Amino acid sequence: MIITPKELRDRIDEFTVLDVRPETQRNEFPMDGLETIISKDGSTPNLEGKKVLVCQFGIVTEGMIIENELDDIFSLLGGAQAWIQFQSENEDLSRWSRQTILPEIGMDGQKKLMNATVAVVGLGGLGCPVSQSLVTAGIGKLVLMDGDIVELSNLHRQPLHGPDDLEKKKVKSAEESLSKINSVTTIKIVDDYLDEQNGLDIIRNCDVVIDATDNIETRQLIDRFSKETNVPMVYGGLYRWEGQVAVLNMDGSPGYKELFPEPPSGGDTCADAGVLGMLPNIIGNIQAMEVVKLIIGIEPNLVGKLLIYDGMNHSTQIIQL
Amino acid sequence: MIKVTIKCFSQVKYALGTNELILELDSGTTTSKLEQLVREMAEGKLDDISLRVAVNQKYVPNEVELQDGDEVAFIPPVQGG
Repeated sequence: MIITPKELRDRIDEFTVLDVRPETQRNEFPMDGLETIISKDGSTPNLEGKKVLVCQFGIVTEGMIIENELDDIFSLLGGAQAWIQFQSENEDLSRWSRQTILPEIGMDGQKKLMNATVAVVGLGGLGCPVSQSLVTAGIGKLVLMDGDIVELSNLHRQPLHGPDDLEKKKVKSAEESLSKINSVTTIKIVDDYLDEQNGLDIIRNCDVVIDATDNIETRQLIDRFSKETNVPMVYGGLYRWEGQVAVLNMDGSPGYKELFPEPPSGGDTCADAGVLGMLPNIIGNIQAMEVVKLIIGIEPNLVGKLLIYDGMNHSTQIIQL
Repeated sequence: MIKVTIKCFSQVKYALGTNELILELDSGTTTSKLEQLVREMAEGKLDDISLRVAVNQKYVPNEVELQDGDEVAFIPPVQGG
């Protein structure tokens, strides 16, 4: 069984807490505000009542409980790392323990995500998975922008919209789905297409802007505003079984205009060329992964690079821009 | 003569019917000349499509002379949605 730091604190009188960590970890990361008994193997032969096992990240103790079939014992979700964070800032981040355990993310990275604002332009094939994954990852605020409505032909690739959402505004349908995933993320919806008048103000107030549009004209506008405001743009494009991702306009790195200086011709939309439903979900999730890296400052990333993914043979190519 | 590998993406792949082509070209062939050849091979299917070029996984905004063993990618615009 699992217990979160908040649940443990609220019900502290019910539990005996057993710290299974080695001495060096206990000394380096003391769990203030918690009386613990040191128990290297988690065994508790002489103790009555409910018990909680604590390790550094909550993984070892979950394994102990499963392996030894300790059905009546709890594991502290996120372990000492989550408890210490909760004690010091009164914010329970244990829900994200499986990503805060990553050395590249940690609690500091998670807090950066939770303080970040990301604009998603387009709530279709790319915008759905991007926003879904960012909300799931605990992003602080999403600005969702689209003037379109949900149509039947969207449903095979746009998992935030279902049959009950037909004719509904995409931003509204997306907001409803996303708020069920994580009510902590603030979601602002803009029921409009991005244009010359509204784009700059929206992008300038964000940390990253996602290009999840279905047309090159809007992409060029996002590119221009991204460059003007120095807000990096995570570009995504689709063609049948293939997708592209690039991080553009990051601290002077190339933008879409450097890739296609003149308005390019011949780019078919998904409606024209067709697309396998899984593809935008793969590409959108790569975009979301790049957003996480940008916000936390993780390298390597796709700044100044164009990733081309072919779902037919699962090949990737990275082109230096 | 030089031998170059052409990586075909998106509309280029569908127009030429393959992911990859290996061509023997005259020494001194440039990226623009190769693009023209690829467009001819596509028999009109790429006529209205802008293409950008990368050589050895590096984007090349201007015309360059190709070398033996180069890998050339033609990148068409793709939309989304």
